[in-house]
Order: sequence, then structure tokens, then C-alpha cells
Amino acid sequence: MAAEDEAVMWVEKYRPKTLDEVVDLKDIVESLKAFMRNPKTMPHLLLAGIPGTGKTTVALCIARELFGQNWRTFTLELNASDERGIDTVRDRVKDFSRYSRSAFGNVPYALIVLDESDQMTGPAQTALRRIMETSSRTSRFILICNQSGKIIEPIQSRCAIFRFSKLDRRAMIDHLCCIAKKENVKLAPEAAERIVDYAEGDLRHAINALQTAAAYKEGVVDEKTVALVVGEASPAQVQLMIRKALNGDFIDARKQMYDLIGTFGFSGSEIVRQMQRELFKMSGLTPEQKADLADVVGEYDYRLTQGANSDIQLSALLAQFAKIGKPKGETT
Amino acid sequence: MREDLLWVEKYRPKRIMDIVGNEEAKTAFVNWFKNAHRTKKAVLLYGPPGVGKTTLVNAAANEFSFRVIEMNASDTRSEKAITRVAGPAVAFAALDTFSTESKGNVLFMDEVDGIAGNEDRGGVSTILRIIEDSRVPVIMAANDPDIEKLRPLKKVSALIRFYQVRIPMIISLLQEICHREGIKAEFEALERIAENSRGDVRSAINDLQSLGETTKTLTLQDTVALSARNRDVSMDETLRRFFSVKSLQDASMLLSYSNVDYDDLLMSIGDNLPLRFTNPEDLAAAYNFVSRADMYRGRIGVENWHLLRYFFNSLAEAAAVSPESYQPFTLISPPIRVITLFWTKGKRTALDSICAKIGQRCHVSRATAKTDFLPFIKILLARNKADDVVSWLELLPEEAEFISKMNRL
Repeated sequence: MAAEDEAVMWVEKYRPKTLDEVVDLKDIVESLKAFMRNPKTMPHLLLAGIPGTGKTTVALCIARELFGQNWRTFTLELNASDERGIDTVRDRVKDFSRYSRSAFGNVPYALIVLDESDQMTGPAQTALRRIMETSSRTSRFILICNQSGKIIEPIQSRCAIFRFSKLDRRAMIDHLCCIAKKENVKLAPEAAERIVDYAEGDLRHAINALQTAAAYKEGVVDEKTVALVVGEASPAQVQLMIRKALNGDFIDARKQMYDLIGTFGFSGSEIVRQMQRELFKMSGLTPEQKADLADVVGEYDYRLTQGANSDIQLSALLAQFAKIGKPKGETT
Repeated sequence: MREDLLWVEKYRPKRIMDIVGNEEAKTAFVNWFKNAHRTKKAVLLYGPPGVGKTTLVNAAANEFSFRVIEMNASDTRSEKAITRVAGPAVAFAALDTFSTESKGNVLFMDEVDGIAGNEDRGGVSTILRIIEDSRVPVIMAANDPDIEKLRPLKKVSALIRFYQVRIPMIISLLQEICHREGIKAEFEALERIAENSRGDVRSAINDLQSLGETTKTLTLQDTVALSARNRDVSMDETLRRFFSVKSLQDASMLLSYSNVDYDDLLMSIGDNLPLRFTNPEDLAAAYNFVSRADMYRGRIGVENWHLLRYFFNSLAEAAAVSPESYQPFTLISPPIRVITLFWTKGKRTALDSICAKIGQRCHVSRATAKTDFLPFIKILLARNKADDVVSWLELLPEEAEFISKMNRL
């Protein structure tokens, strides 16, 4: 497809096309290449690890290595967090495996890449397991997730599991420099460091930040622009919500929360995840305070998974923040 | 003869004079009933529940030797159903007069305000036609006569209003029952039951039976459980009481007697909690309990209903966090979530389709597109460096504008 070569977002433009180009994952790549040499031997795969470490990239590389140019015809990409329910997944998988039954070359199956599969509920995963079994003659699954622990045992036991750890700092910096060079952008070493700090091991985040920073000054990315981008791209609404709660202004904090839910369509767990992330970036809090607050976030993150009404849990979390952060000197 | 287990049935008056209260209404009804040349063929008895409307109809029929053909809310009252039951009753009235000792039939339609819009399609107009065709008296009863649907019926009927029965009359009735059942009751206890009934004789008798039947003694102490009892406790009233409870026990009683929807209740309590508890310490404590209640709700799911008591227990603990701090406040009534989602639907849909496009191109979910791509694209747009990105993502001009104008995430 033409669009791929002309990709404009750098994350796509510089997404590795072959396993050999993949950044910093030598062990994983070696094992996978063994499967590529004899595709019939490839089992279902489970790729687990934090965001932006190359899981989707590896899956797409496998598709390319197996099917070459026509990889899109033989690959079904699904995202569990987008699909409404297991029924849609089942239907699409069924349709797909029927449609692409004619095998490609010496690859006797089609590929199904299911991203964010840990977003599926237990019952949905059980159904998925059935689907994997019934379509195993015609399809191979690559399941991608952040936490393999959230995938039920029977599925794990049917997959070869690959764990992606945080990318090496040096490798990330090198990769950014390499992209900058190809784009004719002068990337200052401190700026690269700063981006990598900000990205916390998420290469996708780092590349997006780099591309955005490059739009500030023609051909130059320095530390100051990076700081600007980081400031401007950080989830201000979430920080604002936290600030309001910590000022003891619960009602306003809750308004902010409903803005995130309503306007941005965030789910309860997405908001909690962002709170956790933003908390550590906030100024004006001691490390001890941050640790205490993170502990509270963790507790309510758990309650959210147990509860029935996410608004209640989020509100309760904000109320705990309002209590902890309430200005000193007030009655205790 | 089998003895009625329910005291409300066992002590239901058989004669008009034994019915307590509502003297005017009784007289008006008897006059209408006895008058063969009545100007209106139908009568509508209306007033609060449990004051004797149904009892009066049956007692009068009994005294004047009429047979009551009854339909109430538990029957479906579509056109067909009404015609099937009522049709023969009103048409063959004359024949019946000769064949039995009965002077004839009366048609009694209880709870006509309960005729539902859809299931009982055509119900009201059918009743109208029956009244018109009927050769026998038609009696109707309703709690709320003001609803729009009943207007045509009111036009063709004599209207007789019933009031709540006065407390002293209920007390003496309860004393009479206690005497016959051999219950030793403190006067204060009966007074409490009567007051709590708000003039509803039926519920007062039910309360007396539930409190006194097994113990045969009744003290004021025994009536504590009544504090939260009320028929038809609406959500607003439940909430108002919930937020003003004086103790944990009050709260538990209220919740175990309320029959509002659990999920609505939970949501409404969550919405209103910050208005009730303005002190951050109290609010945090109360929310902690509500959060625990919500976890129990999650565990209950659709089958573990035995956990419901823990759900209520946690809610009760929330209500009882600081009873002394209660100040009246105005309830937020439509759920905040529902309102929020309604007003923001357009924005959310627009955002969703934009994120779907990003997700498609960049192999990420819509959620990731929203958090990890959108902020950067927004910056590029602000700096006029996004033209190629916009066209590559196949975003429409209005979608690009939407991103530019939306609040920063």
C-alpha cells in the first residue's frame, strides 16, 4: 500500500519493517527468526510488555516476513480495546479465516494480531480460547498485552510468551539521533536525554515528542523546545483535576473529572492510570507525599476493578486526595 | 371456616358503619349507591391508599345485596380484557336479578390510575364505552385523580374524595385489634404505629401484626424498626432521609425498607455526597464507605444477592459518618453522569471518529490515539505544521479544526 512508504507520522515512517531493524530486542528477534525459517513451526505468540517497546512492531514485522508484500491480505489486525465485545472478535476472526483460507506459499495459515488483549474480560478470553482452538488449522494468533498476568492460564499455555522489557536508554537515544539525522534535524544531546527521560522507556512517545519538537524551530531541536513540548503535551486536565482535589476543592475536581469522562470519553481506569502517571511529574509535592498519594491511587485502581460504578470510585479517590491535600492549619 | 392469616383481611369491616373515618365520603357513596335514579351511572372514589375505598365498595355491596365484579391493577386492562370481563357482567345484569337473591351486579374497577399506557391500550376509552352502555352501576377507585388519562372518566362520574384517616381513630382501631388478639400493648407504641402510618389504616394494621403477633407484647422500644417505614418511598425521599439519619441503626432501617433501585440509589448517593459532607475529612470517610458499597455491588453481579446486606451495611456506614453535621441542602436529582454524557455526546463522537482514523494508520487503539497522539497533533496544528499529517491521516478539515479548538487534554 502506497501510504506506508509516504508515512508522515515519524512513528510509522520509521517503524522497522524487518526483524533485523528492531531496536534493542536481540534475544526475542533471534527466537522469532528461527520460526520464520520454518513458518509451519510457529506457535501462537503472546507478546507482553510496557507500551512503546516494540510489540506491535514485532508483530507487523512477522507478518511482513511471512507474507511479504501482501501481508495485509493475510493479516487481521484487531484491537481488543476498540472492539465492542467478543462476538465482534469471533465474527471477524471467522470471516477472516474463511476468506483467507488459501494459504500463502509455504505458510499454511493466516495471521491474527490481537492488540491490547489484556483489556478483554475473563469470559471473553475464555471465548477467545475456543476461537483459537477452532481456527488453529487456518490461523495463528499473536496476542499483544501489557500484563501477561491478565491473560488467563489456558491461553498462556497455548502460546510462546515473549516479554518486552523497558528499552535501553542508550538504544533509544541512538534511535532518536538516527531519525533526526534522516530528517535533517540537529538534535542536541541534552535534548535527546530530556526526551528519553520524558518518555519513560516508551519509544513511541519519544518519537512523537521529537517530531513535534522539530516543528518549533526549523531544523533544530534543543533542550528548551523539548521542555515546551513536554509541557504542552502533558495531560493538563488530569493535572488540574489533581491540583483542585489537593487544594481541598472537591466539587471542582469532580467537575474536571466529568469533563474527562464526557468530553474526552475516558474510562475510569484510563483516568486512574493517567493520574498515577501525572502524579510523579507534578511539582510542589515531596517524594514522600507522592508516594502516599500513589498508594491511594493504587488502592482505588484495585477497587475500580472490583466495583460496579466507576464514577463512585473516582469520586471517592478524589475525596481522599482532598482530605490529604487540604491546606495545613484547618481542623483535622 | 379458614381464619385469615392477614389481619387486614381478618379485620376488614363487613358493614359500612364499621369502617373508620371518612364519614362524608361514606354518606355520599351510600346516597349515590341507593339512588336508583342517579344522574351519573359511574362513581370515582379517590384518595390515598389504605383508607377504605375498596372496603367500602365491598361492604356496601354486602349490605345492599349486590354482587361485585372486580378488576384491579393486577389484571391487564386492554380493551379486549376489559370487554371480556366487564361486558357480560353489565349486559346480563337483568337476568341475574331474577335468578339469584342478588339485586344485581356492580362493576368495580380498582386502581384505574394504574392503567398503563401501552399494555392497557385502549383501556380508558373502553371503560368509557362500558359506562355508557352499562345497565349496572360502575364504581372506580384511584389514588391520584389528577393524571391526564383519567380526565374523560372524571367527566362522566360522580367524584367522591377520601382523606387520610385521623390518628386517634387508627389508635382506637389498633387497640380493638390488640384486645381481640390478646396483645398487651403500650399506648405510646400504638400511637407511634398510627403516626407512622400517615393515615393509612392498612399499613398500620400490617405494622401491628408484624411487630406484635409473635411476642404478644408491644412496647415503644419495639417500634424503633418503624422509623424508616413508609409505603412508596420515592428516591428523593429516600435520599433526604438517608442524608439526615441520626444513627447507623436509622440508616440500616431506612435502607432495608426502601424499595428503590439499588444502582440508582448508589449513583444518587454518590452524586449528592459532597453536598451533604462539606468537611473534607467527613467526605473522604463517607466516600470510602460508598466505594466499599460499590465493590459489594460489583461482587453481587447478577447472582450473589446474599451480599446485598453488606452493600447496605457499607452505605449505612456512609450515612452515619457525622450525623451532627447535617444541614438541609438541595438534592442533585438527574444523575450527573447522564447529564454530562448527554451534553458532551457530539464532542465525544467527533473525537472517537478522529481517534479511529489515527488508530487505523498508526496501529494503536483509539484510547492510545487519544492519549499518545492527539496532544502532539494538536501542537503541530497550532504551529501550522500539520498539513501533511492531516492529509495522511485523512482527517476532514472540520476534524482538524475540532482538534485545534478542543480543550487541551
